[in-house]
Amino acid sequence: MQGPLPLTALRPAAAGRVVRVVRDLTGRSERLAALGVTAGASIRLLQRFPVFVFECDQTEIAVEGAMAAAILVEVDEDVRPRPSTVFRRRR
Amino acid sequence: MPCSGAGVCDRTRLRADVAPLLQLRARPLRIALVGNPNVGKSVLFQRLTGKYATVSNYPGTTVALTKSRAVIGAEVCDVVDTPGINLLEGPLTEDERVTREVLGQGGADLVVQVCDARNLRRALMLTSQLADLGLPMVLVLNMTDEARLRGVAVDAAQLSERLHIPVVETVAPEGRGLPELRAALPLAARPRAAHACGIEHGAWAGTMASQVRRIQPVPTGRFQEWLGRAVRQPLTGIPILAIVLYLTYLIVGVFGAQTLVGLLEDGLFGQYLNPVAVALVSAIPFTFVREFLTGEYGLVTMGLTYAFAIVLPVVATFFLVFGFLEDSGYIPRLAVFSDRLFRAMGLNGKAVLPMVLGLGCDTMATMTTRILGTPKERVIAITLLALGVPCSAQLAAIMGILGGISFSALLTLFGVVLSQMLIVGFLAARALPGDRSEFILELPPLRLPRLSNLVTKTVVRIRWYLGEAVPLFLIGTALLFVLDRAGALAALIQMARPVVTGALGLPSETAPVFVMGFLRRDYGAAGLFSMAESGALSGAQAVVALTVMTLFVPCVANLLMIIRERGARTGLAILAAVTVIALGAGTALNFGLKLLQVTF
Repeated sequence: MQGPLPLTALRPAAAGRVVRVVRDLTGRSERLAALGVTAGASIRLLQRFPVFVFECDQTEIAVEGAMAAAILVEVDEDVRPRPSTVFRRRR
Repeated sequence: MPCSGAGVCDRTRLRADVAPLLQLRARPLRIALVGNPNVGKSVLFQRLTGKYATVSNYPGTTVALTKSRAVIGAEVCDVVDTPGINLLEGPLTEDERVTREVLGQGGADLVVQVCDARNLRRALMLTSQLADLGLPMVLVLNMTDEARLRGVAVDAAQLSERLHIPVVETVAPEGRGLPELRAALPLAARPRAAHACGIEHGAWAGTMASQVRRIQPVPTGRFQEWLGRAVRQPLTGIPILAIVLYLTYLIVGVFGAQTLVGLLEDGLFGQYLNPVAVALVSAIPFTFVREFLTGEYGLVTMGLTYAFAIVLPVVATFFLVFGFLEDSGYIPRLAVFSDRLFRAMGLNGKAVLPMVLGLGCDTMATMTTRILGTPKERVIAITLLALGVPCSAQLAAIMGILGGISFSALLTLFGVVLSQMLIVGFLAARALPGDRSEFILELPPLRLPRLSNLVTKTVVRIRWYLGEAVPLFLIGTALLFVLDRAGALAALIQMARPVVTGALGLPSETAPVFVMGFLRRDYGAAGLFSMAESGALSGAQAVVALTVMTLFVPCVANLLMIIRERGARTGLAILAAVTVIALGAGTALNFGLKLLQVTF
């Protein structure tokens, strides 16, 4: 088990739980919190390009890289494999 | 929970206070519908009051307050529909501030919080903050049908028990749960939330949600899942966008602008209405009056024909297609592709919402820029809307004229307009003080639009267009007639000749059309349409004239809205800049086309 990773380091289809959101003066953490991205929320990365798209709880959210980098995620070990197998597992 | 007993007592006491149906009040009870964006507040508002409020499937449809009277029980209430809000504290956009002000300044006596049953945790975070206001509340779990499909089940009774407020499950578009909501309103109470338990909002919401909600992973419809992924990934999303644009062109540009316009203009007006009007009017002994009604600048032959035969068919077909796209949830997904492009212009992907809405009406879209994060972004977006985004009525004329000439003519016009927008945006991003905000946008679920909402929305918009545009068309026509009679038109044409004929290379009769274009761009464009039809404009001239017209400020209403939103100084600066750019680009295009000997 490794430590929390920023969302930008994840592969598409990786899922886990938000550990914390970096708080600074940019107001990023507040804007993410407004959409439910706070510590404890379940999160799944859907897409990395051209912007990051992820699902948090039941909401699909698109953010640019700087914002995605502020989200620190503890990745679920059992949902790590390649996207194709993840897709099969979910059904 | 040790506190629950006291809370229940509290509620019974409150119920005794509120229960009498008739109460003496200085003013009607004010009920505010509050909730996260895109949870269905406006649908509920319609259901409660019977008054129409625009409903779509993206956050930010409502950016201002809508009020209406409703009778609930035996009491007359004022119901207020508010823009969606996620948090009461922290950085807010201007539409969110509207809501906070209503709540903070005593604009509501009772709060009905509407939430999307799937997103309970987020909703409860807001509930917890609303609780601090100390107003009686009712919680509405809306979209319970969709939640169930996604395997989300919320125990409403238990939630009500814990919050000490009524919790009602609804499916607003079908009116399910509405009687229960009406019955629950008199029982509204002050909720117990984070502060009552002495913990932080987020932690409280997380715990509460996990206690009353069960999520069973269900496979969503394969097609829906596939489509959701396909529209936001570049490899598939961009071809899909191309198909959507092409279908829109077929419906609006070909069916609306050519088939329907042909039927109405040559058929209904050309063969029946106008000859009948001329025959009727010929009984009037005064030439002046006859000319006023059916002459070259006649109210019927010009004003009504333009409004109903040329613009209406395109506007109507456009509103229909546009409504479909709005309700499907597709438009916000365009932000995913356009974020980088908008970043170069000092904006972010979220700006795609006002830009696309501008294709419906620039004036409304100017108001929608409230959803953007910073004042700088709003000024840039408003300028780009005024400069380059043609509204539906104007698209009508563009499609009608250039569709008849050639596809390359259309491409030239949009190419020039888009490049102007890019250049202006790029320069404004660097010249204006202030910052851009980082891109973050909620993507609403993709849905098959409801036919009833689509029809209502289109009808309301057409009625709005008729109410807004037709009077101005008639005033414009009357003004032209008076100017013509007073000889001022000839003088004006003379004055504008160096610009119109010299720089833009257009026939001098285009001058009065441009004057009308100042009143409303679509009216001017309709004028160009009839000039092009009568063969007064060559292909290249039509492209130049329409490009200049598109780049002008859309209409008087839009200018007034810009001034209202951003102040007179900014408004006039935008007007001046846009006019100079329009004429400059038109001149360059004219000489460019001549140099390359393009005729279309």
